[in-house]
Amino acid sequence: MSDASKSGPGSGKLGTLIASAFFIFAGVVTLWDTQSYTDRDSQVFPQTVAIVLIICATCALVMTLLKGDESQGFSTGVWWRRVLLVMSLLVACFAMPYVGFLAAGVLAFVGGLIAAMHDRWTAKAALIYGLSELAVMTAFYTVFRYVLLVPLP
Amino acid sequence: MLRRTLMKTAAAVALAASTTFAIAAELSGPVDYVIPFGPGGESDISARLQQPFFKEKFGQDLVISYKPGGGGAVGWASLNGLNANGQTIMGVNLPHIIIKPAQKEVGFKTDELNAFYMFHYTPDAIVVKADSPYQTLADLVKDMKDNPGQVTMSGSGKASANHLAQIKFDKMTGGTTTYVPFKGTGASTTALLGGQVKAQWGYSTVGAKQGDAVRMLAVAMEERHPLFPDVPTFKELGYDMVGGAYRGIALPNSADEATTKLWSDMIGEINADPEFRQKMLDGGFALLDIDAAGMADFMKARSDEYLKDAKEAGLIN
Amino acid sequence: MDLGHLASAFTPFNFLLALCGVVAGTVIGSIPGLTATMAVAVLVPITFSMEPASALILLGAIYTGAIYGGAYAAILLNTPGTPSAIATTFDGYPMAKRGDGDLAVAVACYASVVGGMVGAIALLFIAPPLSTVALAFGPIEYFWLSIFGLSLIASLSTGNLLKGLTGGAFGMILSTVGVAEISADIRLTFGSQTLISGFGVVGALIGLYCIPVLIDLVATPDRHLKVENEVKSVRIGEAGRIAWGSKFNLIRSSIIGTLVGILPGAGGSVAGLVAYSEAKRSAKPHQKFGEGEPDGIMATEASNNATVGGGFIPTLVLGIPGTPPDAVILGALLVQGVRTGPALFETGGSIVYTFIYGLIIATILMLPTGLLIGRYAYKTIVTIPKAVLVPLVGFMTLIGTYAIRNSISDVVIMIGLGVFGWVVGRFGFAASPIVLGLILGPIAEQGFVQSWTIGAATNNLTGMFFGRPISQAIIVFTLLSLLFPLFKSWRAVRRAPKEGAGRV
Repeated sequence: MSDASKSGPGSGKLGTLIASAFFIFAGVVTLWDTQSYTDRDSQVFPQTVAIVLIICATCALVMTLLKGDESQGFSTGVWWRRVLLVMSLLVACFAMPYVGFLAAGVLAFVGGLIAAMHDRWTAKAALIYGLSELAVMTAFYTVFRYVLLVPLP
Repeated sequence: MLRRTLMKTAAAVALAASTTFAIAAELSGPVDYVIPFGPGGESDISARLQQPFFKEKFGQDLVISYKPGGGGAVGWASLNGLNANGQTIMGVNLPHIIIKPAQKEVGFKTDELNAFYMFHYTPDAIVVKADSPYQTLADLVKDMKDNPGQVTMSGSGKASANHLAQIKFDKMTGGTTTYVPFKGTGASTTALLGGQVKAQWGYSTVGAKQGDAVRMLAVAMEERHPLFPDVPTFKELGYDMVGGAYRGIALPNSADEATTKLWSDMIGEINADPEFRQKMLDGGFALLDIDAAGMADFMKARSDEYLKDAKEAGLIN
Repeated sequence: MDLGHLASAFTPFNFLLALCGVVAGTVIGSIPGLTATMAVAVLVPITFSMEPASALILLGAIYTGAIYGGAYAAILLNTPGTPSAIATTFDGYPMAKRGDGDLAVAVACYASVVGGMVGAIALLFIAPPLSTVALAFGPIEYFWLSIFGLSLIASLSTGNLLKGLTGGAFGMILSTVGVAEISADIRLTFGSQTLISGFGVVGALIGLYCIPVLIDLVATPDRHLKVENEVKSVRIGEAGRIAWGSKFNLIRSSIIGTLVGILPGAGGSVAGLVAYSEAKRSAKPHQKFGEGEPDGIMATEASNNATVGGGFIPTLVLGIPGTPPDAVILGALLVQGVRTGPALFETGGSIVYTFIYGLIIATILMLPTGLLIGRYAYKTIVTIPKAVLVPLVGFMTLIGTYAIRNSISDVVIMIGLGVFGWVVGRFGFAASPIVLGLILGPIAEQGFVQSWTIGAATNNLTGMFFGRPISQAIIVFTLLSLLFPLFKSWRAVRRAPKEGAGRV
């Protein structure tokens, strides 16, 4: 995933080539993995599909090489915001077992808030946003934990 | 306003404290009962049947949650990481917890699971449609000998109780049937009713659910099931088959002996309730009372048999 | 079936239950991760203390509300709230993007009510004969049905068929990861404990649809959805006219939904896909499916709500649950001591008919409550600032995915899949074909393996695969929906040879 993102904005062709190559690779890995199955019934389907996958992805790769590609690629957009959003979600997941669901949720929330904040920061906005989100989050947590009885950490 | 809130809080605290102290030796709140399958299956229904009796007898809610995936493996692999204070229990199923770890690395080993009670089993049964030409088991056996492989039988999954029963029965009779695996007993019953297969390796519960739409040729019990006095056992007909899919409950293996004993007694008490027994029998289940003390012997006997059958069938190496 | 049952369904208590059920269901269904199955399962213990009929009404109302609620997230966030609403995203989100979100929500509500009514009426009048449909579908029919569903990939990926097929095949590979459902192998886990549970459909839906939307949202300061400056009056009337103009589509989709709902191996997601596919095939020339066509939303929503009534048919007549929530309800019924079977419609009639009338009442109640909640949801989504919306939705994806089976690794897989989906989506490999493969892959695999086993045992493989009438009909429909777009574009190319030539 990260190697595809290095290709940068606008380079749709290279990215498509890499993605197609990845799908071919996935097909080959599947074929290799099916070798170890003991039951013929569990081999037939993945093998067939993997062959279809390899053929289609190879054709897509060749077509892209020959005719170029019309996909837009990553286009413009602020990278640090995208990365921050995903990272904060992931960090929240890994922190969850240790700090509990609410605290982890706050982490994700703050990350998402900063990532999505395109207006100017003012103390008032920060306060209102922060408070409203805390309220919503607590409400959700309560509903899940005590009404829907989901054992949240 | 403030005073009222304070009073309420105080009352709540007092209440919480009193309940905690009153049954500190037992349970300290609702119990999380994890079913390692999706909702609606037989394991779920069994748990749902226990739910109201538990509440009635022990005053706490039994909260059922689901952790499906990997044919139960996802749930069982996570069991020993759960809190062992007795507030979390998980359903266990045989032969799943014996066959799966023997086949491949699935994240848990059979003897790592702290099963403390086996409360019932669904006896294997051969089921045919009501309008099937097979009137008796002998008809079926004759057909599977005359036309090897042509008798198709549906069942739930591979390396399952149904599959092991099919392999074993084929060997006993010297005939050959073709086993068609479906996803769950519900799907396998649908295939039977739709005439997609000639017979089904199912359970006595299928007969209880489908009533007149199906006919059971034999059940794998020691004695006839009270709900089906007309259905012979395999033993009566000369085939030594007794068994099926067993259900029980386990605690994380770090649970202390007192907790295990407490739970074993509680489930035993539910199992002894006449109303509960009747409900189970009406559902086609066969009750079983293997408590924590008898578990080791029971598991040993079942393991030996399942593993032997599975090895002979080529399901495990 | 006399009016007495209608009267007993209409007690104030039951009416209140139906209302609460619909509202709760709609809200639960609109949250990605909380499915109808889960909503019903959570509420089962509450129903133990009720009369069986009242319990059924509550569960049925929640179920039907949840199926409709799934449309909100699909339209406003491009994320199906329940798997049934997958095809709603195809046209719903484009409509919302161009500022017609309120219209889309209203149209979805009308369609859901129509679908729900058709399903409930079928359950009321012709349940016993219709239940035979469930039995007529054998493994091979499921196999062909899944192929028919997969053929939608071809018409979805108008831009690039090869990429669509690649995505679909990849989705099917993903569906095989973990412990095989009907054979005895563990596949593609590479020894990992996390992968042994496989890729769950609900988690994958959240990841593949919702995460890309969030990533794109934060990247630019543009508004999430376009809003017309002038404050429009409620577009209920406009939506009503559109729905009335598509009554044929609505009825056809409802019938498809009812029939697919009866099939125990299919469910709401397949019903929506089949109905969408049929609506698209019979589209008028000016309709652009996939770019915000109300008929696409109506087809999906009518059919998925019709599966509620349809699914109860085999559940109550045969004791075979038609859809996953039905399985839970069936379990609750067994605990209540209600025995299912054809006799239920004769001897124990009162429970069944009270329940069906309750379901109809709940469906009708969905109209006002659905429009109201829908309007409110739409206003919330368009008015709250992006900086609040993004973390809120992000938090919902976390808690929703976690709640599926209380597993953090599911959440990590969801995010990983989301980032992957976003990256490949940027290069033309759209999420929908992957999701189609993920959902239909297991149906195709099981159907194929079972058919092959039975066919080989009876020495009649050709007859098994091609000889059965229902299979033949499905094959014809598949070919039609595959060839029809080709034929159309061929005709278009012939008329205007200069533009767009050479592309498949």
